[in-house]
Amino acid sequence: MIRLYDYELSGNCYKLRLLMSFLGVEYESELVDFYPGNRHKSEAFRKINPLGQLPVIDDDGLVLRDAQAILVYLASKYDGSGKWYPRDNPDLLGQVSQWLAFADAITATASAARLHDALFYTHIDVGACRAGAHRLFRILDEHLFFAEEAGQDWICPGDHPTIADIACFPYIILSEEGGISRMDYPAIRRWCDRFKRIPGFTVMSGVFPAGPAADEDSKLAS
Amino acid sequence: MTTDMHSHWYPIASSSDLPKRHVYQAKLLGREFAVWRADDGYVNVWENRCLHRGVRLSIGINDGKELKCQYHGWRYANRTAGCTYIPAHPADAPARTICNHRYPTQEVHGLVWAGETASGELPDMEGFDEVTVLRPVPVNAPRELVAQELRHYVFAEGCTSREEADGSVIVTAAGGPSVRLFVQPCDSNHSVIRGLLDQASEGAERVAILKHHNWLLEELRSRIEAAAASMETPEPMVVTIAKVSEDLVDIPPASEDGRQAELRVQVTEKAMTAEGIVSLRLEALKGPLPTFQPGAHIDVHLQNGLVRQYSLTNGPGETDHYTIGVKREPDSRGGSVAIHDGVAKGDVLAISAPRNNFPLRRDATHTVFVAGGIGVTPLLSMARTLNSQGLGFEFHYFVQSGAHVAFNQAFGEMGDAVTIHEGLSPGETGDTLRDVLKSPGRARHVYICGPGPMLEATRQIAADAGWADEAIHFEYFKNTTERDDSSSFEIDLARSAMTLTVPSGKTILDVLREAGINMSSSCEQGACGTCRCGVIEGEILHQDVYLSPKEKAEGKSIMTCVSRAASDRLILDI
Repeated sequence: MIRLYDYELSGNCYKLRLLMSFLGVEYESELVDFYPGNRHKSEAFRKINPLGQLPVIDDDGLVLRDAQAILVYLASKYDGSGKWYPRDNPDLLGQVSQWLAFADAITATASAARLHDALFYTHIDVGACRAGAHRLFRILDEHLFFAEEAGQDWICPGDHPTIADIACFPYIILSEEGGISRMDYPAIRRWCDRFKRIPGFTVMSGVFPAGPAADEDSKLAS
Repeated sequence: MTTDMHSHWYPIASSSDLPKRHVYQAKLLGREFAVWRADDGYVNVWENRCLHRGVRLSIGINDGKELKCQYHGWRYANRTAGCTYIPAHPADAPARTICNHRYPTQEVHGLVWAGETASGELPDMEGFDEVTVLRPVPVNAPRELVAQELRHYVFAEGCTSREEADGSVIVTAAGGPSVRLFVQPCDSNHSVIRGLLDQASEGAERVAILKHHNWLLEELRSRIEAAAASMETPEPMVVTIAKVSEDLVDIPPASEDGRQAELRVQVTEKAMTAEGIVSLRLEALKGPLPTFQPGAHIDVHLQNGLVRQYSLTNGPGETDHYTIGVKREPDSRGGSVAIHDGVAKGDVLAISAPRNNFPLRRDATHTVFVAGGIGVTPLLSMARTLNSQGLGFEFHYFVQSGAHVAFNQAFGEMGDAVTIHEGLSPGETGDTLRDVLKSPGRARHVYICGPGPMLEATRQIAADAGWADEAIHFEYFKNTTERDDSSSFEIDLARSAMTLTVPSGKTILDVLREAGINMSSSCEQGACGTCRCGVIEGEILHQDVYLSPKEKAEGKSIMTCVSRAASDRLILDI
């Protein structure tokens, strides 16, 4: 069984819990005391990931770090439909990769601001992180606004979400814990509702479920 | 900030920002709004705070009829913003109306408009009958700076601009098309540019138009924000949030008004919904109707001076009207006949605010409704509530024949949960009820309403099957028990420090009223529970059909309209 080195409050770990829940993949969580224990910097954990970062998975001996990399791996291996990570569609694959990199930038800004506010990472320049997150959110909101105009629900074209949506979601939905309001991003807020309605969606601390969609609006087939 | 600004209308959203089952977050002059469209299309603009713990309602759940706070599940109704449910006391939803703050709103020209105290006309929109709503562009800059820069907006050759009386800017290109640009002042250093193009568009052309303006407005934003960054940032606006009154901290007490007809409603529909049963749709003459809870009834003051109680049949979210069902009683004392024959569409009636003495628990794992004839009305409202929230229930409706089934359409929405039992004899009814009620259990509840004999039988069957007293809920529509008012006794009013004598021929309620004590009442025959009063000491002769046997045995409350003392003296908690 897949072992996930996991921390409940980590948005990056949440990305993997989300994908495995969407895919119905079984896994076991190995909880790492990130705060206050700082166990991800312990000698034992650095032998697993020399970067001292979560998440890490161990899938039958294959040890992988980096949330985006693990999303690519899990979707490629366990998603028979090929929709979450469309390996055979170069156009789409390029776009997915572009937004995976964008998700990393969200982590570097919105997640960092949250670490500052919620987990006492006081050395972080929170003003710069918030400004950086707002720059990214403006770009994503504009992108999603025009996606809606084109009849698209998700970050990448097509009738099904991809791992790009999963990679972007956690630190967007948790942004207010870092003092980053989403009021100026109505298209992002609507996309968050749609994301929460994907069958198999799970919550984490600070993330609330959406209510059911109106019947005529529920486009997503399970 | 002057109140003058607060009385203006401002666009705060595009219509397309409000899909169903979504809650939009907005800010105007420092005040946050939770904005949501109900399934009936109505747009609600509310204070973005739950009355309970102040959590933002913009993270709540829009279920199409109500907005549910994410924190503790308080529910607020479409249109009225009245609180319909407080989970902390599931057996007793608020007895009177608690409302969140609503703000004036209109939806016109593809935009949602609001203002803290907005009144009067929207800006004159001549020339903008057909529009394309541009993508709104938020700007971190003061409103005045944004408005000033909008004068320099250029989207085609030969643009000229002019400022309108409402402060918006119209930019017209040499070729003809015009764009009207509004500024939503969110806060002292935060605005949103909202634009309308004076022509409709669709398809690729629409996307091209939207992208063109979006790009130009974002470029304009960069310039405005650069200018704003070099200026001193103003302090954020301070808004006053109305304090939650002290009494909301506790379970709200029942209102102390007497039998008052404080509302005026117009009969906007009158139709036969089943044989001998007429349904009336009642709409307020002015303003919204008070929020009701499922199980609530109203007093209807009839033209002939009679006052009658009728249960509301409405489902959740139906806040713009009340619907009641009235059966023509052959031995009517004048109430049902007056409604059937004397009330017409267009008539104005005086009614009381809804009162709920038949509350619905929503913490049950399963609920069984047993309705007989016209007893269907309060149970229908309850079942619609559970159905809307996806809570499990079954509804058994006993009628003489198919022609006697009232409110067919509402039942149609509940599918398999409803079973209609037609034309059963009393014996067959008993057998059916024994089957229906064979499985009592933890967190299972039964609600019964119907004619006296059927109600008695059902209560007995439920008790025999092992349903706990607390799990059997019932409401009589009249009290047919023989009542004795021959005794004479004294009542001590513990809180009012008065001693009064109740002579034979008068009720406790009569005597209280004569002494100037404002006691609420409704049916005045011991069926509805409105005039319930606590008893501190003394033996009670219960003559009502509201209290359960257990409550009667406990002797802690009395229905002052019919019940009396069995001892010489009663000490009442009043």
